[in-house]
Amino acid sequence: MTPATEDRRGGIGPPLFAAAFLGAVYGLPLVRIAKNRLVVGEPVYALDGLGALPGFGPEIEAVAGLVLGAVLLARIGRTRIGVGAATVLLALALALLMLALGSTAGDLLAGEPPAARAGLASGAWTALLLLAGGLAHLARRMAVPGLGGALAAAFLGFVALAGSTGTLGSLSLAIEFAARKDAVGEALVRHLLLSGSAVLLAVGGAVLLSLWRRGQGLVEVLVGGIQVVPAVALLGALVAVASGLLRAVPALREAGLGALGPVPAVIGIAAYLLLPLWRGLALALAAPDPATLDAAEALGLPPRTILFQVRLPIGAGILLGALRVACVQGIGLATLGALVGAGGLGGIVFDGMAQFAPDLILLGAIPIVALSLVVERTLSLAEDRWRGTPA
Amino acid sequence: MTRLRALRPALGAGAAGLVLACFSHPTVAAAIVSALGETPRRALPLDHLGALALHHLILAGTGLVLVAITGIGLGILATRPGAASVRGGIDTLAAAAQAVPPVVVVALALPVLGFGGPPTLLALVLYGIMPTLRGTVGALEAVPAETREAAKALGLTARQTLTRIELPLAAPAIVETLRTALVLAVATAAVGALAGAATLGTPIVAGLQNQNTVPMLQGAAATAALAFLCDALMVAAAGLLRR
Repeated sequence: MTPATEDRRGGIGPPLFAAAFLGAVYGLPLVRIAKNRLVVGEPVYALDGLGALPGFGPEIEAVAGLVLGAVLLARIGRTRIGVGAATVLLALALALLMLALGSTAGDLLAGEPPAARAGLASGAWTALLLLAGGLAHLARRMAVPGLGGALAAAFLGFVALAGSTGTLGSLSLAIEFAARKDAVGEALVRHLLLSGSAVLLAVGGAVLLSLWRRGQGLVEVLVGGIQVVPAVALLGALVAVASGLLRAVPALREAGLGALGPVPAVIGIAAYLLLPLWRGLALALAAPDPATLDAAEALGLPPRTILFQVRLPIGAGILLGALRVACVQGIGLATLGALVGAGGLGGIVFDGMAQFAPDLILLGAIPIVALSLVVERTLSLAEDRWRGTPA
Repeated sequence: MTRLRALRPALGAGAAGLVLACFSHPTVAAAIVSALGETPRRALPLDHLGALALHHLILAGTGLVLVAITGIGLGILATRPGAASVRGGIDTLAAAAQAVPPVVVVALALPVLGFGGPPTLLALVLYGIMPTLRGTVGALEAVPAETREAAKALGLTARQTLTRIELPLAAPAIVETLRTALVLAVATAAVGALAGAATLGTPIVAGLQNQNTVPMLQGAAATAALAFLCDALMVAAAGLLRR
């Protein structure tokens, strides 16, 4: 069977997607109603509203219909119009599902005491993730530049609008967010600062390491060895060493440095980013073929000009790829920075773990995941664009 | 002799692991801390450290077995001819899964599964499956199409082609993938200390909280030692397979 016939039949992807979606919506609980924010609540299923019990109305069936329609369109109409229509249907399904979850949560809480909470349950999360993933997949197949970004922006706008009108306000996550709006914003900025400075430090370190031409073998062993050390262990060891160093050189403490805080966190994170950046740099510098370099030399270009006008432009795609890997890793590792008192979104996650409050954990976790996805997509788009237009 | 030579790449990681293991010994760690100018407080006794290491190893090992079964199994399924349409999705999914750091997975599993080992195990498995699946698919796809055609021409069934041709040829690359998965598993088990799992991460987290440097250093050295020793084991296995 050739790939072409495989592709025309659509394969097992779309039916698998539909089955997973229906299974999540009808087989798993959509929301949980709890007495307060700390306990795990009673599950509410999509079909609970059919009987005398309060629950979901026909919105869920409408959402399921939209998703099935989108799957059929994507499977039958292989044209751009078919895929575009499927994208619209999925986007509508996502919006409708969120509205249904928000309003049903409000209905279910109506007679409950004020401390009661309605949290999204596994079925709702799975369904939302599937819809978001399906939309991302369709947007990529449409191959319209900027469509993915536009969809993401439209989603954020929709959440903000629904949030401001109070439709989503009954959900526990929204209540946690309303209580800590400023803290979340501050943590987000701090998280970006932590991972950003770690990436900058690692870029500097990788450049210095690749300048040491004779020691590349040793550098490879060291930089690769760091990857084996678990981050929790490296951070712990850094704090131990830093406190010793501060005792030996008290002037450092007066300069505002501490054994705990952003300094050990940034150094620890940067240590892990050395490998992708150093390797990317080496590959990028080796990217131009020898004939090009010979030609540049024959033209009498000085080495500096060759580096900046020949080697780096040709290797820029590889460099951007290395930077993308380092940035995504840095954002993830910065979560652990809160362990050594560096703050950031990890602090919110750890607070949630300490209080055993699921929605507080999510309040820290969602921005981390969103941040990594945005950085990953943006840099890989830049990478594609650079590779698409050879310098 | 050739067998010994195949083990040589594992020597560096093995030696690093042994040196770090020495650092985690109560006496040595206390000596290091006093050399750093601090009066050492209570160190973690050796038997306690050993128990934590064993628990850590069991947790990471169980996670690796589950990851290997599901990751390699799904990888085999995804490379069968009928599943071509799913393969593009795997790369997207693997990239998306990489955006969720292990700490976050542990944290999210906590309310569902409670404190202790289970959330850590779930995080281990969820975090390890996608890289293993992707690695297995890559390893199986790297088997040359001509080899597969030749097996077909010889009259081997699809199952025979898989077990006699594809898997043996892909084995070194799959072991390499599992090596990464094991190092990840050891690291994630350390993070599991935050969710209350008794692992070598526990003395680190506790030491950070009450400013007790000796157990912090012991835990850090022991965790790193375990990671290096596991890495050495997998490198040795890959070396023996590739021979």
